[in-house]
Amino acid sequence: MDSQKTIQLEGRRDDPLRYGIHGVKSDIIEPHPLESAYHSSKARQEEIKRKILTNTYGAAFPMKQQLDRQILSKFKRPPGAIPSSYLGLEATTGTLDDIGFEDYLNDPRDSETFRPIDMHHGMEVRLGLSKGPAHPTFM
Amino acid sequence: MTKVAESMPPKGGFSFDLCKRNEMLAQKGLKQPGFLKTGTTIVGLVFKDGVILGADTRATEGPIVADKNCEKIHYMAPNIYCCGAGTAADTEAVTDMVSSQLKLHRFHTGRESRVVTALSLLKSHLFSYQGHVSAALVLGGVDVTGPHLHTIYPHGSTDTLPFATMGSGSLAAMAIFESQYREGMTRDEGVKLVAEAICSGIFNDLGSGSNVDVCVITKGKQEYLRNYMSPNPRTYVSAKGYTFSKKTEVLLTKITPLKELVEVIEGGDAMEE
Repeated sequence: MDSQKTIQLEGRRDDPLRYGIHGVKSDIIEPHPLESAYHSSKARQEEIKRKILTNTYGAAFPMKQQLDRQILSKFKRPPGAIPSSYLGLEATTGTLDDIGFEDYLNDPRDSETFRPIDMHHGMEVRLGLSKGPAHPTFM
Repeated sequence: MTKVAESMPPKGGFSFDLCKRNEMLAQKGLKQPGFLKTGTTIVGLVFKDGVILGADTRATEGPIVADKNCEKIHYMAPNIYCCGAGTAADTEAVTDMVSSQLKLHRFHTGRESRVVTALSLLKSHLFSYQGHVSAALVLGGVDVTGPHLHTIYPHGSTDTLPFATMGSGSLAAMAIFESQYREGMTRDEGVKLVAEAICSGIFNDLGSGSNVDVCVITKGKQEYLRNYMSPNPRTYVSAKGYTFSKKTEVLLTKITPLKELVEVIEGGDAMEE
């Protein structure tokens, strides 16, 4: 129940100053071809990895892995000063041993529009007591 | 998978926030700044017991020479070095990032990094950015499987060759390699040939210039010969020295420590869990 609300609200793109006036076309077309190519290639690689695991160890193994990841991705700190580290999730996906552009370039927390999250509000959103994105500055 | 990915907080990386705005401005007639021409000569060759890398030291900003003595041979791992051509910031960022990844991998496995590891990290990164990270690299190193030399193009394709050149001076340098390279060269012959190839780039290509950097990697040993040759010294230096206008006068040197003016609370508030 907790993530159901936040999932829908995170990732919304209805800020007209940043993403332009809402329209059907702007929903379909990404602003830059590289953005969609980058995200879809990441997803495709995950899919290929999963298929290889299915072929090698059977369908149960990647499903169990998937369950582990879903459980670990919900294991968060309360919203506030310290962001969740997702140590368990990063250990199972292998991103713990990786360092990429996303780890040190353009960190959302270094953004000039960053406002610290109010813990009480964030917690209310997470529990479904109030509306609105938990991280108003992130999206 | 989609569910896990969606519930994660957004990460950093490239920002595409302003692409739409810029596109709109360009349509309304704003002339966007173009790309600056880059120029470099970087080379590498495999000799009897290792790999030799070479680079010139000129950094250009279009028609302007920005740096006369920059470093284009980047450290990747103790046994691997990498020459970079293309956008200086991109080559620097990519090699630094992969160098960190290799270090993490060494901590994880406790073994010496292999050149192919660096190669696949670099090519998969460059391929995922579809050539927008403009780094053309010559990667060389010696690992348990022997000496290796690879070239990596900005779009992520790679070559494995006994001798390789990259950058705008690559044609001039390759001409020297193709006429004089042979298998089983000694160290001194190899260094001489690399220096000659870089000099050919320096003197025949406008994007390359200044000095020659050489890096010799052999099993368990690496020599970075910074400014191995300086064929273009400054031609005129004033014998009398240069005079500069008077410095800003120092009016006051008294220092007022702020700590005495304010009360400092050690520790601060305890973090709530």
